[in-house]
Amino acid sequence: MQPVFKMRPKPGRPVFFSAVPCPVQPQPKIPLHLRAPTFRVTITDLRLWHTWAKNRANSVGSSFLNLDNGPDSENLRRELKWLVEDAIEQTEVVSALNSGKFCDDDTEVCVRASLDDLYELWRQRIEERRPFQYVVGCEHWRDLVLSVEEGILIPRPETELILDLVSDAMKVNEDLKCGFWADLGTGSGALAIGLARLLGSSCPKLFATDLSLTAFTVASFNVKRYNLQDRITVKLGSWFDPLEDVKGELSGIVSNPPYIPSRDIQGLQAEVSKHEPRIALDGGENGMDDLVHLCDGAASMLKHGGFFAFETNGETQCNFLADYMESKKKGSFCSIKIVSDFAGIQRFVAGYKS
Amino acid sequence: MEGAVLPIPFGHGAPRRRSIPVSSFLNVPQKALRFSWTPKKLGDPSSRWSSFPHPPSNGECHGVLLASNDVSVSTETTEWAMQDFYTLRKEVETTSERVKELRESANLKHLEENLADLEEAVADSGLWDDRVKAQQTLQALTDVKEKIKLLNEFQRQVEDAETIVKLTEEMDSIDGGLFQEAAGIIKELRKSLDRFELSQLLSGPYDKEGAIVNISAGAGGTDAQDWADMLLRMYVRWAEKQRYKAKVVEKSMGEEAGIKSASIEIEGRYAYGYLSGEKGTHRIVRQSPFNAKGLRQTSFSGVEVMPLLPDDSVNVEIPEEDLEISFSRAGGKGGQNVNKVETAVRITHIPTGVTVRCTEERSQLANKIKAMSRLKAKLLVIAEEQRASEIKQIKGDAVKAEWGQQIRNYVFHPYKLVKDVRTGHETSDIAAVMDGELDPFVKAYLKYKYATSMPTVAEQA
Repeated sequence: MQPVFKMRPKPGRPVFFSAVPCPVQPQPKIPLHLRAPTFRVTITDLRLWHTWAKNRANSVGSSFLNLDNGPDSENLRRELKWLVEDAIEQTEVVSALNSGKFCDDDTEVCVRASLDDLYELWRQRIEERRPFQYVVGCEHWRDLVLSVEEGILIPRPETELILDLVSDAMKVNEDLKCGFWADLGTGSGALAIGLARLLGSSCPKLFATDLSLTAFTVASFNVKRYNLQDRITVKLGSWFDPLEDVKGELSGIVSNPPYIPSRDIQGLQAEVSKHEPRIALDGGENGMDDLVHLCDGAASMLKHGGFFAFETNGETQCNFLADYMESKKKGSFCSIKIVSDFAGIQRFVAGYKS
Repeated sequence: MEGAVLPIPFGHGAPRRRSIPVSSFLNVPQKALRFSWTPKKLGDPSSRWSSFPHPPSNGECHGVLLASNDVSVSTETTEWAMQDFYTLRKEVETTSERVKELRESANLKHLEENLADLEEAVADSGLWDDRVKAQQTLQALTDVKEKIKLLNEFQRQVEDAETIVKLTEEMDSIDGGLFQEAAGIIKELRKSLDRFELSQLLSGPYDKEGAIVNISAGAGGTDAQDWADMLLRMYVRWAEKQRYKAKVVEKSMGEEAGIKSASIEIEGRYAYGYLSGEKGTHRIVRQSPFNAKGLRQTSFSGVEVMPLLPDDSVNVEIPEEDLEISFSRAGGKGGQNVNKVETAVRITHIPTGVTVRCTEERSQLANKIKAMSRLKAKLLVIAEEQRASEIKQIKGDAVKAEWGQQIRNYVFHPYKLVKDVRTGHETSDIAAVMDGELDPFVKAYLKYKYATSMPTVAEQA
């Protein structure tokens, strides 16, 4: 049973009451590129670390790829380049390191992590397959830079397309902008922030809900960073539960819910299966539990003509959902369409409340 | 041979004159003078590329020349010293002429009028209503100011050198220090004049911009990939020598060695103008270190050059249906199943077949934006080369033909030679070329291009 939290947001600081004793609200971890460069490391030491890190990346070859469709050396070298960009403040040092140029030097450089941390971070990447985004604490997604940490699903490139679908819908019907929108299972807040920027200030309020306290914290942090705390309200709770107040009034709903069948998770690449939050991936036996729940909820939460877009695991799920909406929830939805992602996989189901 | 003694100005030593048909003399140190001598170029006024012989760079020349056999200075050296001065004087005259011609042909007066107009435009309060035009105007203003400054600087420098020459003649002696100064001024001035003249040749619409150089290994397997790596290094070194900012933004390693492809972003004025002639296929002949028998092998690599246009300057609209955009995705089921940083974007312009791939940014959207910008730059350049007024008019097959054209041969074995097949310019110092000494080739190509194209009025303020 999932506990229900009711929220009464006060301006500036969300407060919640709950039936279970709630833990001290965790502090979000600061992404590497936002930390103060207070550590001093000599160029010699940096270069040694970089050479070591590069060799470790090269030694992987295609082994992860063959094992579980993980990253290969080329991916890892690119990640190392970005790790360097996030860790070191001075751009000349960054480009010299990345192009392999430096001669040994005792000059000290300002770094955002200690030398020990740099070794440890890269070791974690290679040996434990800790996701790169957790290592640097952030993810570049669309035109945003979002803080992410363990417990947060890392926003996927495919999900960027949802915002394009919303954009297309808005072209057809400008009024959609002027209502409430919701991003369900917001995680890092990616879709919510992207939506807020897309819809503009004519959108009166955007809600972002998530079950996880970590997501609540991190999403709030990201929303604040983009100065959108007045337009986006982050609510802790399960799917539609925190949104009872606006039942039947939503102009739009978007979601990237967990959709992987439970038994498939352990076969995924280690970065995902061993490190990303299961709660954000596991969609039950056929992966569809949450998607179906969302369809049911959308029928009553959306106002007439309201728009929805959900991401799924592929063709089977898309077709199932489309059928479900047309048959079981007959009359509730119209203009249901299935949209493919850039790899040609049918990825999204979108439509309107009739 | 008896050591020569020349009259020494400060009264040291007994003046014992030999019959030297000159009235000037030189203070020399006790060590022998060494000259880098290119006699055939001596006194040749039409040759602007000669290395100017000058005395060794020890700033202070003191020391007394004594009549003894220990001294290794010979009469010839003294005469050479004199020739030196005559040469210097001649060089100063020639350079002075050249500066005068340049200032005339640059139409200094017209430039200054232009400057006044531009300054007025900049002072106008309505300037920033059109941001793009404002930036263009500011850039034009900077260009004109820079040009006028350079032309005046040339004048000033040549006058300095002339003053030294006059002083020397009047003083009846050659002060080593002044001589050096004059020689130095003239040397630097001639380099600057060369650069200036060359930049006048760079009158294409994108010549002033920075450049993106794409190198891809062609036929030849691992050897070609290693060759591509050598070319990468060559261009990075060249950029450093020109004091441009060079950044290797993309590098795809070969399996055994070398690279499959790479992209360099070179920021700096005129980088594109200088590098545009590098487009084409570069061929290497050498004993391949990757061939088991060490046989002589030929490999190819292709170089492509595009202008680095700032995003907001490219206001060309390309209809969406002409574009094929593909994103590399990590395989597997995609979506939540995969977490691989594969944000590469490839955009193909279907009518012409021009393709651009961008991998270095950290999100798909950022790569898409950059790829679009690069694609537009590429199309604009091709349109310009084909003298098409719109992208729509570009003939597709021209694209492939360009890339396939062999432009330069680099032979490492059995002899050493780099030869540009378009201009015929060649050198046997292949090591210097691979270390970035491309200027002679660049210059030769620019002159060749200028000579073979319709001469257009190059004056653009």
